Amino acid sequence: MITQVPQPVLEVHDLTVSYDQQPVLWNVDLSLPAGQLIGILGPNGAGKSTLIKSIMGLIPPTSGYIKIFNKPLQEVRTRISYVPQRESVDWNFPASVLDVVVMGTYGKLGLFRRPGKKEIQIAEDALEQVGMTAFTKRQISELSGGQQQRVFIARALAQQADLYLMDEPFAGVDMATETAIFQLEWVIMLNLHLVASGPKDQVMTEELFRKTYGGKLNLHTQVTDLIRKQDFNPLKS
Amino acid sequence: MTFDSNAFLIIFTGALIAISCGFLGVFLLLRKMSMTGDAISHAVLPGIVIGFFVSGSQRSLEVILGAGLLGILSTLMIDALRKKAKVQLDASIGITFTLLFAIGIILINLFAYKVDLDQECVLYGEIAYLPIDLWITPNGLNLGPRITWLAGINFFLILGFTYFLFKELSITSFDEQFSSAIGIPSKGINLALMSMVSYTTVSSFESVGAILVVALLVVPPSTAYLWTKSLIPLLRLTAALGILIAILGYYLAYWIDSSIAGMMVAVAGAFFFGSALIKGNWPLGLRGTSKSNPAFDS
Repeated sequence: MITQVPQPVLEVHDLTVSYDQQPVLWNVDLSLPAGQLIGILGPNGAGKSTLIKSIMGLIPPTSGYIKIFNKPLQEVRTRISYVPQRESVDWNFPASVLDVVVMGTYGKLGLFRRPGKKEIQIAEDALEQVGMTAFTKRQISELSGGQQQRVFIARALAQQADLYLMDEPFAGVDMATETAIFQLEWVIMLNLHLVASGPKDQVMTEELFRKTYGGKLNLHTQVTDLIRKQDFNPLKS
Repeated sequence: MTFDSNAFLIIFTGALIAISCGFLGVFLLLRKMSMTGDAISHAVLPGIVIGFFVSGSQRSLEVILGAGLLGILSTLMIDALRKKAKVQLDASIGITFTLLFAIGIILINLFAYKVDLDQECVLYGEIAYLPIDLWITPNGLNLGPRITWLAGINFFLILGFTYFLFKELSITSFDEQFSSAIGIPSKGINLALMSMVSYTTVSSFESVGAILVVALLVVPPSTAYLWTKSLIPLLRLTAALGILIAILGYYLAYWIDSSIAGMMVAVAGAFFFGSALIKGNWPLGLRGTSKSNPAFDS
């Protein structure tokens, strides 16, 4: 069991998630404090995306529950922002960069209401934060992979949320975008994809992580309890 | 027959139906569900038969309701087969609509001696007869062609649907997971779209026939998709193509004395192939402005 933090932003209790009755995540317990940047590290297929998706309510849990800002997800949806993996959508969709970023404001707008000047301003500010102002009118199919990623991050910024959940957000982004991500308040949960060359239990050690991430790394204790099925899946903060 | 009131009525009604189907078709296309329209158009047959059997009339509310329910049932079945039984989307569409269509045919054969209904009148309408099918009120007032009224009502219904739910329809078509994550009722929007497709297909059947409805759902949006880069121009061009298809289809059919619905589908197809030829990525020689083909270099 991970140590309980006082007034956690995100609490996951005894979460089990299965695909086709095949558990992917087992008895995950975690509770995250406010104002931190938190990464989930783990090898391919460890269930990092699954964890983020089940926190967002996109995959129903088999057991356990999740509380965000001490409330069930449904009550705080507009305070949470989500960046899915870039490959999850068709980038040939007929939309401009601005069209996609404005979508970030739809959650707060509610049914039937259309985005107006205020929403467009929010979207333009978000685009500025990720250095994509010059691409506002560009069609999304004409962007590079890194630019598409920045559009997704801008869309998340346009949600003006308190908690950001990002699934592999650093794929191909530039320094400015990275900085924009690091400057966000509250918690950001990142899925950091790791590639191990060699046996997992030898390569993915605490010692090697510390070497890679330097002084910034602060591994949460009892990491193996987090996702028990895997040898390994620590959190960094 | 040159430009008389009958010609105008047929073209006007055809254009209304083409725009209605085109608007819904755009969102089906963007969801990669274009063939769902085809599936629905066949899968509603049992609903039409049951509605017909209950009411004894082809034009009753029961028929529309029966067909609408079957349309929704078919989309739910396609979705369930795909997600729960892990069948590919195209296969689950094929399984669903052939099964439901077959049940419809069996029902027709069981009850056909009692009612005047056959597959023909359900699947193939004829828009040419529209001017003589009048809506006459009980006190004898002639309100004009019944089908034009129906097409007009449907047109405003679909216009309102796309206008008020534009934001929801576009975000759920682009990124369903994200829309669910931010609290947009993706499943509800999808169900609403499928219900509109079912209703439009059924109410357009007897006037223009299933083949034309399916063609109008798929072909104009696909053609406009080749030319446009964002959603609103895509909808506008789809509507413009719908009007052109109705006009050209009518006059070409008149010219060679053929089926109007058939000619409208042929015109729609010609527009698509013309566009694909210009905008597509063909090998050198097939189009003027082609990028050089690496195979012919060196």
